[in-house]
Amino acid sequence: MNIVTIIWIALPFLVGFGIYLLPKLARALALSVALISTSYGFWQIVAPADLTLELIDRFGVTLMVDSLSGFFIFTNGLVTAAVVLYCWRNGKSAFFYTQAIILHGSVNSVFICADFISVYVALEVIGVAAFLLIAYPRSDRSIWVGLRYLFVSNTAMLFYLIGAVLVYQANHSFGFEGIRTAPVEAVALLFVGLLTKGGIFVSGLWLPLTHSESDTPVSALLSGVVVKTGIFPLVRCALMVPEIDPVVRLFGVGTALLGVGYAVFEKDTKRMLAFHTVSQLGFVLAAPEVGGFYALTHGLVKSALFLNAGNLPSRNFKTLQKTPIATPIWIALVIASFSISGFPLLSGFGAKVLTMKNLMPWQVIAMNIAALGTAISFAKFIFLPRGGEGQPKPGFWPAMVILLGGLFLANGAYYEAYTLENTIKPLATIALGWLAYLVIFRQLSIKLPRAVERIEHLIGVMGLVLVLLFGMVLA
Amino acid sequence: MAILEACVFATVLFGFFGIILKKNLMMKILAMDVMSTGVIAYYVLVAARGGVHTPIASEESLVYADPVPQAVILTAIVIGFSIQAVMLVGVMKLARDNPTLEIHEIERSNTP
Repeated sequence: MNIVTIIWIALPFLVGFGIYLLPKLARALALSVALISTSYGFWQIVAPADLTLELIDRFGVTLMVDSLSGFFIFTNGLVTAAVVLYCWRNGKSAFFYTQAIILHGSVNSVFICADFISVYVALEVIGVAAFLLIAYPRSDRSIWVGLRYLFVSNTAMLFYLIGAVLVYQANHSFGFEGIRTAPVEAVALLFVGLLTKGGIFVSGLWLPLTHSESDTPVSALLSGVVVKTGIFPLVRCALMVPEIDPVVRLFGVGTALLGVGYAVFEKDTKRMLAFHTVSQLGFVLAAPEVGGFYALTHGLVKSALFLNAGNLPSRNFKTLQKTPIATPIWIALVIASFSISGFPLLSGFGAKVLTMKNLMPWQVIAMNIAALGTAISFAKFIFLPRGGEGQPKPGFWPAMVILLGGLFLANGAYYEAYTLENTIKPLATIALGWLAYLVIFRQLSIKLPRAVERIEHLIGVMGLVLVLLFGMVLA
Repeated sequence: MAILEACVFATVLFGFFGIILKKNLMMKILAMDVMSTGVIAYYVLVAARGGVHTPIASEESLVYADPVPQAVILTAIVIGFSIQAVMLVGVMKLARDNPTLEIHEIERSNTP
């Protein structure tokens, strides 16, 4: 088992650089790495090895594989496979696949790290690889969006590094458990880094522009798995150290409401999806025990939605309401929208029920409002006219089969959810959401200001969140 | 020691406010470098102890200084400078169309 894990974690990096030497095999190699990760992740979900590999001596550098990592790894494998298939005939160069696979490998490593310094290294590799993918079209805009991303993530990681050394100073170990005995400022600094990297609450406002202005497959990768690398360590810490748990849950609620608040008013498809990612990450954090399953369904559905949005005739909802979209694409779009709204028969339902069951009493009202907001936002997609012309990109259908098929199959994982009481509540939420959309939100044209998304504000907000966290951890 | 620590944190803060307040993209990147210099110095400071030996393997057992923070920060330095390099390449590309590299101009022309 140890050897399998080590080979599996090193493989993407070897293959990633190997792709450069064998550009003809780029797609096949990339796909096989993704499939290997998928099977490894699946294996960890059904038969968790609960493996802990510790570096010799006492620095606390640890790798830890259990079913929680399994869910995240499985998501990463499926989303990467879908993206590779989507790009299969789109003429991407070997460089693109190299970066995608290195990104895949470093995302995998975050999901098995259990110490702050390995997480730091993996997150920085993710930053660089994601920048190169965002800037792949080499237009001025893509380079600027990428630079802005690197700025925000690198500044956040500098705060994180100070936090990591404070944990080391207190424990002589970088392990996650050390956060229990670490001084408050260490917790605050580490959290600023992870919250920013994971796109949580106000420190996540860099995310909408980055995810909406990237190329379609890159958006799918970023929103599907890459942002989850910021929240995975938070979930892991919350599970290991009960004192941290309320803080993580509170941020979950905050980001769920903030993201959905922006999403209901958004008039641009990709921006709406990106804001909605900010909100869904809150559902993962709101109930850390079951975060893995929620992350899996969200990863599949959000990448499916981003790939769909890239094949619609326009990005503007106003234009889309006048131009009918091709019926097959519409069906795929509606299946994904139903899943994310929590409709029975799709795994979004099971994930929502499971999360709602594991909430603390004080979270319930806020999370139900967020679920209602989700139904309102996705009514925008469901009520689009169908019957138009138009062919999607060549790799579209294989990718959809993987992602939507995954949604149907994952539904079986939590079949206990199908009780009468559990089924009525999401249906009522969806009905209420649609009603609110048709009566109120369809006519509204409120444009929320974008000033907070300027780079100075994004960096400045980190300072504010740091102060806020100090207050919260001290209290 | 306390004064040294204060100076290190001052460097970090100067860098942080430089990133926020500087108007030029190039200066922002340099400010980020100042901030990371502060962080690196803090690691060195955490590891610094008087009255212990250099951590080199030897026959007799000695009290030796903790090598871990410095080993770790070496990784961070390498990562930091590679990110710096990647960013500067991006800036070079942007400079063809925005020769002044003023952040507001770049942001206005590249935000939808």
